[in-house]
Amino acid sequence: MSPNGQGRRQKAAVPNNLYTVILAVALSVALATLAFVAYMCYSQYGTIFKIP
Amino acid sequence: MSTLTKILIVLLTISSIFLCGIVVTYVANADNYRQKYEDRETRIRALTETEEDAKTQLKEKTDEYSRQESILRSQITELKTEIAQKEDTVRTIEREKAGLLESVNSYASKVESANQTAQQQTQLFENAQAELEKVKAELTKKRKELNELTLSLTEKLAIIDDIRIKNRRLTEEKTELLSRLDRLSRPIGKEPVRPTPVTPERDIAKVATPLVRDIGLRGSVTDVDLKNSMAEISIGAVNGVKVGNTFHVTRGGRFICDILIIDVETEKAVGFLEKVQPQQQPRVGDRVSTNL
Repeated sequence: MSPNGQGRRQKAAVPNNLYTVILAVALSVALATLAFVAYMCYSQYGTIFKIP
Repeated sequence: MSTLTKILIVLLTISSIFLCGIVVTYVANADNYRQKYEDRETRIRALTETEEDAKTQLKEKTDEYSRQESILRSQITELKTEIAQKEDTVRTIEREKAGLLESVNSYASKVESANQTAQQQTQLFENAQAELEKVKAELTKKRKELNELTLSLTEKLAIIDDIRIKNRRLTEEKTELLSRLDRLSRPIGKEPVRPTPVTPERDIAKVATPLVRDIGLRGSVTDVDLKNSMAEISIGAVNGVKVGNTFHVTRGGRFICDILIIDVETEKAVGFLEKVQPQQQPRVGDRVSTNL
């Protein structure tokens, strides 16, 4: 807490984008996996969620 | 951002990447069960059709088997009947064969006996031929002797003719001499006596008195015992019947049998029946005689 920051609101900033990239990569991998599994299910069974 | 958050972010990312890799690997290598199911279903359908076909074929085969079985049973029955007939035929043929073999044996024995008879006949023929040759030789010899005898007989007949002529001449001379002697002796009251020749005259041969004669007893059968072959006749000792006489039994001129006398009484005799004819038995009233 800074001593002169009582009256004004300090803008939140990302100190480092590396971890954001890492999370984005993890999210994209999970999405890609989800898309691949959905594609395989649809291609093999004709549906994604129902039991044929 | 705290350090713990950073560490968690890194771990989350690493784990998500790792798990996603595993999931992707698993999904990529997972079996296509739908395809397998379809393949199995197709195979099951094909197998079901195959089973249906097999059942149909089995039914057809069963029907065919039943039909063939009925046909074969009928054929077996016919064959059994035929076998029975053949066996009967075989038995008949075997019996005929046995009969023929017996006939062959009998014919063989007959042929053998005929051969032996032929050999004996041949031997007899050869003997007879040899005998005939001997007889021919003897006949030739006898003919020669007969010719000689004929020649001798002719000579003797000529001598006999000469003797007859001489005898006739002597008879004439004797008659002349007797007439002359009668003329000379009659005046003196004498007559010539017929001379008795010194040489005795030969007489002609006569039949001698027979040494045996027929007994000539006749009678009739008075009793017959065929069971013991005995018979009784109506003549006995007073008629001349003796033990051992044989009487011939006749009926209407036909010979019946003989009776050999074994016991003689005064007026009857008993004897055994002999030479009894099977068709004609002696009976009471038949004639008996010692000579037929």
